[in-house]
Amino acid sequence: MSAAGTELKPAGAVVSAPFFLRGELVEGQDAVHRSRDLGVTFATPRLALDRVVHPRTEVPPLLNVPLAEIIDFLVETGERIRDPGNLFVQECLDRMAATHVLPRAVLAEQVKGAAAYLDQRLLRTVVEQNFPDPRALDEWVPKQDFTGRKSFVRAFAPRLIHVLPGNSPGVAVKSIAQGAMVKAVNLFKMSSSDPFTTVAVLRTMADIDPDHAIVKSMSAVYWRGGDDAVERALYRPQYFDKIVAWGGGDAISNVVKYLGPGFQLVSFDPKTSISMVGREAVASDEALDLAADLAASDVMVLNQEACVASRFIFVEADRDDADRFCGRLHARIVQKAADSGDARPLEEDLREQIDMLMMLDDEFRVWGKTDGKGLVIRSDEPVDFHPINKTANVVRVDSLDDAAKYVNVATQTVGFYPFERMPDYRELLASGGAQRIVRLGEAGPSTIGNPHDAMYPLHRFVHWMAHEDGVEIQPLA
Amino acid sequence: MSSATEKLTRLVAAEDRFDYSHAELRETQLEALNERFQERKDRIRLLGHRAREAGIAEIRSRADMVPLLFPHSVYKSYPERFLIEEKWDRLGQWLGAISPYPISPVETSDVADIDEWIERLQAKGHYVSCSSGTTGKSAMLLASDKDMDWSRRDTVSVFAWGSGVRPARDRRMMGLAPTAAVPKNLVIGQAQHDAFGDPAKERFRLPIPPITVGSLTKMVVLRKKIADGTALPGELAEFERTSRERQATLDQAMTAGAEALVKHRDEKLYISGLWNALYQVAKTVRSLGYSAKDFHPDNCIYIGGGLKRAQLPPDYQEFVHQTFNIPANRDFQNYSMQELNSGMPKCQRGNRYHVPPWLVPFILDEDGRVLLPYETGEIEGRAAFYDLSLDGRWGGIITGDKISLDFGPCACGGKGPSVRNNIVRYADLQGDDKIGCAGTVDAYVRGLS
Repeated sequence: MSAAGTELKPAGAVVSAPFFLRGELVEGQDAVHRSRDLGVTFATPRLALDRVVHPRTEVPPLLNVPLAEIIDFLVETGERIRDPGNLFVQECLDRMAATHVLPRAVLAEQVKGAAAYLDQRLLRTVVEQNFPDPRALDEWVPKQDFTGRKSFVRAFAPRLIHVLPGNSPGVAVKSIAQGAMVKAVNLFKMSSSDPFTTVAVLRTMADIDPDHAIVKSMSAVYWRGGDDAVERALYRPQYFDKIVAWGGGDAISNVVKYLGPGFQLVSFDPKTSISMVGREAVASDEALDLAADLAASDVMVLNQEACVASRFIFVEADRDDADRFCGRLHARIVQKAADSGDARPLEEDLREQIDMLMMLDDEFRVWGKTDGKGLVIRSDEPVDFHPINKTANVVRVDSLDDAAKYVNVATQTVGFYPFERMPDYRELLASGGAQRIVRLGEAGPSTIGNPHDAMYPLHRFVHWMAHEDGVEIQPLA
Repeated sequence: MSSATEKLTRLVAAEDRFDYSHAELRETQLEALNERFQERKDRIRLLGHRAREAGIAEIRSRADMVPLLFPHSVYKSYPERFLIEEKWDRLGQWLGAISPYPISPVETSDVADIDEWIERLQAKGHYVSCSSGTTGKSAMLLASDKDMDWSRRDTVSVFAWGSGVRPARDRRMMGLAPTAAVPKNLVIGQAQHDAFGDPAKERFRLPIPPITVGSLTKMVVLRKKIADGTALPGELAEFERTSRERQATLDQAMTAGAEALVKHRDEKLYISGLWNALYQVAKTVRSLGYSAKDFHPDNCIYIGGGLKRAQLPPDYQEFVHQTFNIPANRDFQNYSMQELNSGMPKCQRGNRYHVPPWLVPFILDEDGRVLLPYETGEIEGRAAFYDLSLDGRWGGIITGDKISLDFGPCACGGKGPSVRNNIVRYADLQGDDKIGCAGTVDAYVRGLS
């Protein structure tokens, strides 16, 4: 009896994942959990449930801290995250590299990139785009309607649970910033594939000022998603107003059963992104090179772990032209994969299905092998499986109109080429369920403050409170 | 068939087949593995592909076989749209890539549905069995006439060995399993009946329409349509209505089953079913006021399949046994799966599943890629097998099960390898709380299970 299985790992392989409870670091090895991705175990302290809730009889600590001060604090946090001397972040990366599907260099780049969100102008813009009048975050904004009735409205500080995804450390930073800007009391439930980043960022914040109201408003903990013992106790309107959850399937169905009056869901749904490449791309070698280059960039966003990463590329061309596109696309994906040092093998199930398509080679054609170094499959209809881990499915269509029918409620981003044809398609894509249409090659960036998942999230986070102040008495004439 | 393979498969009816030690079998098994590989590598296209990729030309050790074992997902690897769009020729081509025998051309222009296509293949000697994937894809498993013959013999000897019941044709057969009407199940049912059933007594079957591959795959097709957004609400309401009707028919059939059991309670019975169904029937029998004391003391029971995620109380097995007065030494259990063609019956004294000589076990790491080193005692990991009896498809399969295998002798006296009675599916083990923002439209399809 020598190999494999969790219990057979040497004790040293257990990585420690401390909690952060409203300003205080809590360490301990009371519970051992498993990260599915690499089969690594991590240990956490016992979860003190009482400490993550804020009594309803007390206003949230951040309520009367001006937004400007909060943003300043976040900006300083960003600077410290980028500082190579930040031990919290370095230690976090070391731990994460052990439990994450992505290589350390990619993760480090992501953490640095995530910190870019903590920018003065950017944060201001996010707030301004989410609220018609951002003053409502800081004060009771006076209103008066046409009948003369007066009131004050406040974007009141909510109590939020954030169920974080594990595939992008950027989400952790973003969620902290958004939770701070709406002045919420925040509980971050971390994911098993990243139980570290959120705590590292919060420790960086506590290092700036351990007594600041921001720090006192944040907790980050781990429990296994769906653990009734924790969720039945915590998921209640008496403790929290909203649950901000990422993902779908089991992750969401676990949450849904606790929803009810006073306890609402703000969901960031699981998404698939695609590309649409018009016939203009195959008209010349230059255009073909350009389109393949742009498409490869979109496929390889976060090495295809992110929702914005393209998986299906609809190409308006005949088979020969589509194949020319595939060849070039494949070369670029392989190059990007090699540059990132990522050669994770494909999951067995995916490998089986692709190997089988190779056997049926008159209808499908495959560039590359199922070795995790980059792969392109050409077909006449989308493949059954979810292309992941540097796998692109090029679907040949006679017209992009035919591609529109494959857009569905799970479609997030549609990268488009040529750019001039985007207005012809954006309405049909929206009707199908898509949320963004972007220039091919620009799946990642978006206009600061733009809607995410077809909503302005910050606007939904807050507890909109009205103070009705009666009708103004008209002086007698 | 060539010599080493023959030597091992010839033991199918041998009384002492579980008494061959690993040391005695090792060399012959290795030789047989290589025989099978040499015979099949140029005939099964996927195998040839695997062998080329792994650079394997000969099986000189068990480890050489590992990259050539097929994951169970191979049998689900057909593009779903072939099924949905009823492209029988294309589905036939897919079968051809995993079949050692060329798939004889069948006329498909006038095929009405998958059941008819399967029927026509069967007429040419290709038997397609289908697993009952409820929401996901169904596995399609190809078998030959030889495999059907083997199943017929193996199932009887497995039951006789595991239950201690002699095939004396002296029982009333009570079939309470709503199993799929696929060739393998039908052959097994008939063989059990021929061996154990009293020819003078009519066999009880659940009064339900046959569960065909077509009816199993209907749900898969509808699920795909919902995801695509092409299913309209009326179609969904209709589907739910037929599902309810089917459930009501099944419930009535179960009641009829319970009544039939009560009616024949004085006779010597052979009861077959799945745990979930038998538990429900046992409850009904009890509610009718009958229990162990009312049933024949020499009854026996054949259980197929696992729990299939049914939620039953912890003592469900005792409850069923006690209701039907099954003697303690008749606790028959069999470890097998659709992908294999042979069973591993559980012994009474050691409470372990015994691996016959023609079934070569492998314990792999969790990912199913590496053969775990074996020294002594029990070894735990992902189960894989090479079934030397298989003819109509490749015999090497990596399962979804986590098992503990011991190559040493069992407490029952059997000298051959055996599996501990604690088999679990990896799929049920993973507390999967990984969340990402990337996902598929599957997350948006509600309530089809």
